This record gives sequence, C-alpha cells and structure tokens, in this order.
Amino acid sequence: MSALSSQGAVAALELRGLGKSFGAVRALRGVSLAVHAGETVGLVGDNGAGKSTLVSLISGNARPDFGEILVDGQLHDFRTPHEAQGAGIETVFQYLSLVLSLDIASNMFLGRELVRPGRFGRLFGVVDKRRMRREVLHILERLGLSLPPPRTKVSALSGGQRQAVALMRAVYWGKHIVILDEPTAALGVRQTQIVLDFIARIRDQGVAVIFISHNMEHIFAAADRVVVLRLGEKIFDGATRDLTPMDVVALITGAGIGREV
Amino acid sequence: MALRSPSGTARFNTLRRAVLEWSKRNGLFFALILLVIIFAAVSPRFLTGANVTVILLQISVIGIVAVPGAMLVLSGYVDLSVGSLGALVAITFGIMAKHIGVGPAFAVALAIGVSWGATQGFIISYFSFSAIVVSLGGLAGLYGVAEFISKGLVEYGFGNAFGELGNGTLIGLPVPAWLSFVAFMIGGHFWYRTRYGAHMAAIGSDKSVARSLGISVRRIPIVLYMASGFAAALGGLIVTSQLDGSSLSIGTNLELQVLTAILLGGVAFTGGRGSLFGVLIGVLFTGVLANGLVVANISPFLSDAVVGGALIGAAALDVLYQRLDRIPLREAGGSE
Repeated sequence: MSALSSQGAVAALELRGLGKSFGAVRALRGVSLAVHAGETVGLVGDNGAGKSTLVSLISGNARPDFGEILVDGQLHDFRTPHEAQGAGIETVFQYLSLVLSLDIASNMFLGRELVRPGRFGRLFGVVDKRRMRREVLHILERLGLSLPPPRTKVSALSGGQRQAVALMRAVYWGKHIVILDEPTAALGVRQTQIVLDFIARIRDQGVAVIFISHNMEHIFAAADRVVVLRLGEKIFDGATRDLTPMDVVALITGAGIGREV
Repeated sequence: MALRSPSGTARFNTLRRAVLEWSKRNGLFFALILLVIIFAAVSPRFLTGANVTVILLQISVIGIVAVPGAMLVLSGYVDLSVGSLGALVAITFGIMAKHIGVGPAFAVALAIGVSWGATQGFIISYFSFSAIVVSLGGLAGLYGVAEFISKGLVEYGFGNAFGELGNGTLIGLPVPAWLSFVAFMIGGHFWYRTRYGAHMAAIGSDKSVARSLGISVRRIPIVLYMASGFAAALGGLIVTSQLDGSSLSIGTNLELQVLTAILLGGVAFTGGRGSLFGVLIGVLFTGVLANGLVVANISPFLSDAVVGGALIGAAALDVLYQRLDRIPLREAGGSE
C-alpha cells in the first residue's frame, strides 16, 4: 500500500496530453489530468465525451496516439491490460471479474492462491483456504468494513457486495490506482451506499481513485474533485465543494460556466 | 452482518447452516439412499456382497471416465468421444497384442488414448472450435476407424495376467472398482485441494476473466482432454479384459452414461459450477438404478426410461441449484 501523500507530491497517476482517434473520430484531443494518492476524482461527461476511451488508455486496452501516461512519476507505455495491472492500476468494470460459484476468499486469491507451507504443500499445490479466509477478514478489518463470511459464495452476494469484493481484491493486491467504471449504475440505494463506503475507505488508505458515473449524487458523495470531459477535451477540473450538481450538469451539456469551446 | 468472533453457539449455528446447505444441494445423495432402501426391501438379493460387486463392476468404467469428464464440463468443455475411443483402443489393442505382445500393446493403447485427447484438446482450446462438435466428430469418426481396422472381426484370448485387470479382486473388491476409487481420489485432490479446482470453475464461468487473472485457459483444458483420453482408453482395456475379447461393442453409449452421471451429479452443463462428490453420487445412482430394476424383476428396459427421466429431473435440479445459490443472501447478508 502506498503511503498517503500530499497534493504537492508526485501524482500517483498523471496523464499528459493524451490523444486518441478511431478513424476519423477524434475521441480524445489532448487530455491532461493528475490524480494523487488518497484522492477520488469524479470523471463525468456525456456519452461520447471520451470517458471510455480515456479509461481504455489508462487500463492498457488501447494505446494513445500521442501523449504520456506516468505512474508515480515514471513514464509507462501499456501494451496490454496486464502491463497496466503490473504498474498498479486496477480497472473495475461494470461487468465484474468474479466467479459466482466460488466463495469470497477464492475470488480474492483467484490466480494467486496461497499454497500451504512446507514441502508437502508446495509439491501437491495444496491451497491454504484457512489462511486465505483469514486474510479476507484482516483486510475487511483494516478497511473498517463488513461483508458476509469469506466462505460465502459470490452468487449469494448483492450487487454492491460483489463490487466491494472486486474493489477489495484490487486493493489487496497492492493496486494503488483504481478506476471504477460506473460501479453504481445497476445498483439500488443501499447497495450504492456499500460501494460508496468502500470507495471512501480505500481512498483513506492512500489509493488514487477515478470514479466514473452519470449520477451527480454519487459523484458528489464520493469525489473530492470533478473532471468534466466534453467532445474529447477536458473542460473543467476543480474541487467538488465549490460546485453544485447543477453546475456540473451545465458543464457536461455545454450550457454553463465552463463553455470555452 | 458484523463478523462475530466464533463463540460456541455461533460455531454451532455455522455448522448447522453448513449441514443444511450441504443437504440442500446434495438431494441426489438422499435419493440414492432412498433407492437403496427400496430395492433392499423389494429384493433380499439386492444388498448381498455378490450383487454389490456386480454394481461396482457395472459402474467402475463410468466412474473412471466421469472424473476427467466432470472436470471438462466444469471448465465449460465436454468430451463425447470417450465411447468410440474406448472401442478404437480395444480393437487396436486386440490386433497389436497378437503381434507385439500384451504388455507393449497395452502401453500403445493408452498412448493412443492420450494422443487423441491431446489432439482434440489442442484443436478445441487453441482454435476455439466447439467442444461438442469436435468431440461428436470423434464419436463418429473414431468408431468408423475402429470398424475399418477390425473389419468386424473379434480378437480374443489375451492371457490370465491381462484378465486380472477386469476380473481380479484386491482385498475383496474388484480391481476396476479400485481403479475408479483411485481416479476419484486423484480427481478429488485436484478439484478440492489445489488451485486447479477454482481455476477450472473460473474457466467454465468466464474465460476472459480467467485469462485476465493469469489462469492457463489453454493448458488446463488440453491436460483435461488428455486425462479424458487416458481414462477412456483404460476403460476400453478394462472391458476388453472382462470379455477377454476386443469387440466393436465396447464403449457403446459410454459417453451418454458418463454425461448422465455428471449432470445428475449437479455439474452445470454451462460450466463453472459443480462438485466431484456429486458426480460420485451420480455414478452410484445410475448403477444402483439399473441394477436394482433387474434384481427387483422389473423390466431392465425400464432402466433407460428411468435414467432419462432422472436426467430431465437433473435439469430441474440445476435450476434449483442456481436459485439456492442466491438464497443465502437473505440468511447471511440480510442484515447489511
């Protein structure tokens, strides 16, 4: 886990003039953005504003035509999602990368299972389920959150709890930059609260969070800063506390205070 | 929803819930016990040692092939070629045994099974060909090759040592039953104790997710198809040993019997869900049913009809299992 750093320190994630075109469509026209550890940035914009393109560049699903991506001040060029993950960036998509028939602990450690110590355990690759469950309880305790017992199957969890498991996995594996693409889109009020609580907790643990949502209420509940994209450009970047939801809607639609196209 | 430290009562409640949970998703286990009680009541011959041995002999080959078969289904694949592979292996073994001897022929026969499994697995896994279509091609094609090679002739007389494989006993149990037991032990180890259990479920549940987590989405199915080929070849050899002859009829309908046991055992045909213990119960259930109907003097022809009905019942059970998977939400997470 990265330590908390002040706003003046090197940004956990810095984007410099990112541009990307798909054929004749200029999806991103030079977007710069810095996200610091322990900060949640709400990324908003209308459909086609460039949010998804930006996310796919950061998560390694596409490569920028121009511009730079820096993680902790280091220049990176992600050719695959795997490389982005290796740099500590986890993207939690709406469709969740969880296996429903497995329990919480198995999902947390899927692909990176803990094996029992000793020659016997390693020789036969015996998974240490007890230790994995204990680890889940530890991280929940550290985050000050609760979920059903670690051996509960994910299929028995609610939508918000599933999002929480995905987030928890990201944080556990040392990811210090988490991108949430519409994590609350399909959730009810109570489930949304679970996810928003989780976002707040991992932010407090020093994780840099980019939170994408269409819901102004959720943005204002979770984000310290709002970044507005419009037609592939960043047209606003400022603290949430200086804004009202109406301001942001006006910015998104291009009707309000930030109209400087 | 707070995670209480497990006090005595809490621990008891957890245990009680686990037992309830287990009972809910292992209904077939109780159906099996019920079936045994009914047949035992109807016929005093049913529970005799001799008859139990007969049942074990009838289901041993199905059990051996069902272990890798269930792992394939869990991973979202299927192997329909096992029956025809058994026949082809039996025929080639029969012919080769006359020329190069029983021992070498045995080894070559197993190698044929593994090679076919590897080929099939490679095609399906690397080129993303449909597992059903490719293995159905194997089902038709391998039998055709077996017919071509055998020209309809039966080889027989492979000696006493080879006869032990299918007919011998070890500590009171038939050798094939022991082999089946070993298959389930090995399978159970991989399914429940190693990472591969979760990995297979992940592949069967969502391949791209499994890949993104670094799981070997190509290697695992290939190894499983190789294991399936090995098991089918071993099964073909066991039956050859029991008959002391290599006949084209060996392995007929094996793929259906195996798949029936797997699906009755609660492995979802769509992949991602299932237990090997359930498969064991499924194998026992089909064996007890087929045998019991004969012993109880009910027409053996009815057995197929009952198995068919049970399979449709399994489809209903699968829907039920999926519902049950969602139920604990109200029990465990209700007070969120």
